[in-house]
Amino acid sequence: MSEEAEAAVVSGEPIVLSQRGQLNAFFRLSLRNGLLNLVTLTLYRFWGKTAVRRLLWSTTYLNEEPFEYTGRGIELFVGFLLALAVLVLPFLIAVFGAQFLGPAASLLVLLPLYAGLLFLLGFGRFTAFRYLATRTTWRGVRFHMRGTARSFALSWIGYMLLSIITLGWFWPAADRRLAGRLWNSLSFGDHDFKFRIDVARNEPVYGAFVLSGFLGTVAYLVYGGIVFLLLGPEMREAAGTGASTVPSLHEIILFYISFAVLVVLFAAARAPFHSAMLRSVVAGIGFRNVRFRLKLDWIDMAVLTVTNMLILAVSFGFMMPLAEARARKLVLSRLKILGEYDLGQVSQAQGLHPRTGEGLADAFGIITV
Amino acid sequence: MQGRFHDGRTTRVQTVEVELVQEVLTFRTEDGYERWPLAGVRAEPIDDRVRIAPPEPLLARLTLDRAEWLAATQHAWGHQRAERRRHLGLVAGLAAAAAIAAGAVFVGIPAASGPLAQATPPELERKIGDNLDGQLSLAFPACGGKPGQAALADFGRRLGTVSHTPLEVRVRAVHAPMVNAWAMPGGSIMVTDRLIRLAATPDELSAVIAHEAAHVQKRHVMQAVWRSFGFGVLLDAVVGGGTGAGQQAVLLMGSATSLRFNRQAEAQADSTGQDLLVDLGLSSQGMAPFFRRLAAKSEGHDAAAVKELLSDHPDVLRRAQTTAARARPGAAAFTPAEWTAIRAACSDGYDPLKRLRKMF
Repeated sequence: MSEEAEAAVVSGEPIVLSQRGQLNAFFRLSLRNGLLNLVTLTLYRFWGKTAVRRLLWSTTYLNEEPFEYTGRGIELFVGFLLALAVLVLPFLIAVFGAQFLGPAASLLVLLPLYAGLLFLLGFGRFTAFRYLATRTTWRGVRFHMRGTARSFALSWIGYMLLSIITLGWFWPAADRRLAGRLWNSLSFGDHDFKFRIDVARNEPVYGAFVLSGFLGTVAYLVYGGIVFLLLGPEMREAAGTGASTVPSLHEIILFYISFAVLVVLFAAARAPFHSAMLRSVVAGIGFRNVRFRLKLDWIDMAVLTVTNMLILAVSFGFMMPLAEARARKLVLSRLKILGEYDLGQVSQAQGLHPRTGEGLADAFGIITV
Repeated sequence: MQGRFHDGRTTRVQTVEVELVQEVLTFRTEDGYERWPLAGVRAEPIDDRVRIAPPEPLLARLTLDRAEWLAATQHAWGHQRAERRRHLGLVAGLAAAAAIAAGAVFVGIPAASGPLAQATPPELERKIGDNLDGQLSLAFPACGGKPGQAALADFGRRLGTVSHTPLEVRVRAVHAPMVNAWAMPGGSIMVTDRLIRLAATPDELSAVIAHEAAHVQKRHVMQAVWRSFGFGVLLDAVVGGGTGAGQQAVLLMGSATSLRFNRQAEAQADSTGQDLLVDLGLSSQGMAPFFRRLAAKSEGHDAAAVKELLSDHPDVLRRAQTTAARARPGAAAFTPAEWTAIRAACSDGYDPLKRLRKMF
């Protein structure tokens, strides 16, 4: 039976996901959070992030009912402090202490530490997803996650190693499988999500991966050419005469401008792969009779990425919540949902809540909504 | 008021009739009566509705018409004011914590780094230096001219005798694509081939090396190590892995403080370096002309103040003026034969491309 035919075996009501928030509200919240972050040297960010999520969730509707975010700023703060005390500080002290050892002994200390760091990155990605899931409710019923962060982190390490061995060529498959593992672990109340990798594979990603790589290389070559044309003559002269290589003010400014252009070009170049991966992952997600399709092409993704980057650059990062709301609005507007479902039949699952926030993810700079 | 009730156990919707009786929301559900004291509920406005949550951890929710809710509760603003006060208290507490952190970054850590550096056992500092030396030597190999290297090493030893430091001052010339000299933890000093070529007289080269020896004497490098460790821990604690303008502002503040202390250390090394030369009976007149030559080789002096702010060294022309004022005449640090050997130390046919090919 085809996916569409399978989805057509229905009982219940059609499903519609929509983002109804006014961007003005996100603009105001961005300003408020930005100012409070400055006053508190960013310590307010845990509460600011919570406020953004509350607004994002409460403006995202499943049919006529908005989602609810039940997380609290203090949870994120405590999670961060725990990660800092238990992991980050000991790590920094060990790295610092290793400098007092001989080269061989310091390698013996540092190599396992960095391997552990890789494990923790995977661990943090899972726990951050789990935290968001368990703090999301709809009609008072909570999402939750099965499975363990440890097993996800081990898979993460395995896929990373395979990607390194294959010079990056395994990464699209790895990325899809990791996303699949997260969605496969997710439940809404007592109903499980199922990720079907065979369906996800129907949405190709490797062509887009190659295209993104090609565009990224072109962007880099263009950037290199510009830098060479602008700074090359002076650098050659300096190399010939043995002059100081301390850059002049206009060289510093030119360097930063060209670097900013490169960052934007790189982000735009990543759009084909990013949108293809999103389409593929979304296609793999299933919830009982309901399946999802994303009609998002890479031009839309590139336009969103570049405009969001401009918004962030102009606002010095203040408008991050606005950028997140724009991204969510675009994705949900391009989401097609097949099949129907009886939304009144879901019961609360007896899931355990993680005790702390996404401290690990935050400590390692893993960006979550 | 009519409302929609979710019992927190299933997604089923119940329509309920809600009354506000003596500051308690009261309504009848299929399972009996619910009574939620107004002081304990949280109201979240959503479009033209409001979603009411009872005290946590209950997940039951009541959705009411927003206008009706506001009309019914307009006399009971006390609990909302309390909520606002709690939020203000939170912001004030966080701002106070931020002020303490800023004090530590600006004052505490820089003030502690000096005594910490002095208290660091020299053998530990040497170990850090040996690690760093090993890594840098891969990128910047020592020049092959032995007589020149011997003359530089001997000058380092002489500086060590007057600098009263427990560390051994070890100087060597290295191949590197820049005009530079630097001191490392433990007393090692590297001088690049390009700097040796740029120095016109023995006085100029000896002044640069004496400046680096002053860094060793004052243990500036170890101070920087402690400072950067302190900044690292504190800034991680404050900004964590976050991104955005706030985080960048704090990181910039840390960098600016670090640069300011580096500039102070450079100025101190200029004067102490000159003192070391005078103590050895040598000329300290080479520093100023070397700085002037360095300035002439780089860009024009426009916006020097801005560049200085972004740099870990003071403005080079100002350094030239200051060191010229303090300069004293004296003997040359190197004999003509030593000077010739030093100038020739790096003319050993070194080819970085050939070396790379050999490595791989």
